[in-house]
Amino acid sequence: MRPLVLGGICLCLAGAAQAADWPADAAVDPNAQNRTLTPRVVVNSGRLEWEPHKRDLTPWPTLSHLDRRATPRPQQANYNPPLRGDPARGREIAMDPARGNCIACHTLPGESWPGSVGQLLLGYKQRGVSDAYVYQQIYDRRVTNPNTVMPPFGTLGVLSDQEIRDLTAYVQSLE
Amino acid sequence: MCKVWNETVLALLRVGGLLAAFIGVAWAQAPAPYRDMDLPMPDYEPHVRGDMRLSKTYPYWRDRSRLDWRLAGDPEENWKLNWKFMDPPFNQSVHGGHFALERGEALYKTLNRDGRFAACLGAGRAGLKGLRTRFPQYRQDLGRVAGLEAVIEHCAAAQGEVLQNGSYDNSAVSLYIASHSQGMPIRIDVSRGPLKEAYERGRQLYHTKAGRLNFACSSCHTRNIGQLVRGSRITTPYGDVTHYPVYRTQYFLQSLHLRMMECNLDTGVQPLLPGSQAYTDLEVFLTALSNGYPVSVPAERN
Repeated sequence: MRPLVLGGICLCLAGAAQAADWPADAAVDPNAQNRTLTPRVVVNSGRLEWEPHKRDLTPWPTLSHLDRRATPRPQQANYNPPLRGDPARGREIAMDPARGNCIACHTLPGESWPGSVGQLLLGYKQRGVSDAYVYQQIYDRRVTNPNTVMPPFGTLGVLSDQEIRDLTAYVQSLE
Repeated sequence: MCKVWNETVLALLRVGGLLAAFIGVAWAQAPAPYRDMDLPMPDYEPHVRGDMRLSKTYPYWRDRSRLDWRLAGDPEENWKLNWKFMDPPFNQSVHGGHFALERGEALYKTLNRDGRFAACLGAGRAGLKGLRTRFPQYRQDLGRVAGLEAVIEHCAAAQGEVLQNGSYDNSAVSLYIASHSQGMPIRIDVSRGPLKEAYERGRQLYHTKAGRLNFACSSCHTRNIGQLVRGSRITTPYGDVTHYPVYRTQYFLQSLHLRMMECNLDTGVQPLLPGSQAYTDLEVFLTALSNGYPVSVPAERN
């Protein structure tokens, strides 16, 4: 009897679980490492092959019309001083494509191939801006600018509280 | 006791199942979930000349055969050519796209032995000439708007052949079909019917933020054209689809929908399957922005 009941639970919840997670037309294999798939084109083949992507992207909303998950709304950060951030660690995070990747859009000292989309961050040390303000800009800039291109790193769970503290310390140290 | 309990659970589960189905229906009718939109939206024109009001680079790449060599050779300036310096006839080099074209020709001729494949694709008396310029289109047999690769998959399946959307062979056949429209301008009408609806959905999707970093296509390709992202200059969405499927020097043959998957993966958005409705809507929007711009294959991109 027990396996049948378990089967019943699986059947009943299948529809709900699917709708609560990624949409049906997403390139996902729930059993693959990281779940998110990337296509692999095989020469002279009528079949498309798939490989696991380096990161699981299923937790965030997609462009699918079937995706019923809402994007988290702009969020005020719950920042508590003191900062306790390490600018050296912050710099590492800013240059790391897997974490902050700030360098993709911002020009930062001592690094080639920068971006020019983001605001100039040089000279923050002299600007006298509060840590709380800088923390909020990284955590969720939509609060102060609804049309910003900058990702809400805190609200979307991309960076942790400590990582944002380290980045804040790094930005505040820029001459 | 255990049996009674189990039956109760089963009964509850049945009710739960109904409830889940009910919620499913409610979901389908519920208002769209919250998304950040990249606003304001510019006044897009469903014609390539609309770029004159967006990036204003159109005069630089309007005629592929007469691009400015000096711009093409300057890594700081070549983005203004919208990468057309890798399209024929400016780019005459032989590359993987030419091998794909040969493969596509062989596959097409096998599939079309009795003419049924061409008829299914919608080739009229003109044959394959100009066929590429009329896609995406509304398909009675599919009951929806579909791109050329989706229709190739469908028409091959009708003959028992597997040519999955996005596969090398599917893109090779698409490339062969496109080669018969060489130099002919894209011509899709998005002013009415299902194509108009798809265009409108595509336009909205283009400005819809998604994924781990909450980016929309337009965050870069409308808002920040000409700016640097990790050392690369961002280009215009106008006139961008006429070289697909494209030979990627790092990736073999790539259909437009596979390119969208790559765009999604690069910006931390969970990609969708080739042929999905969202990608098809985006394809309609982007193809409309190439209206009036000639097809040129096989092309290369980095």
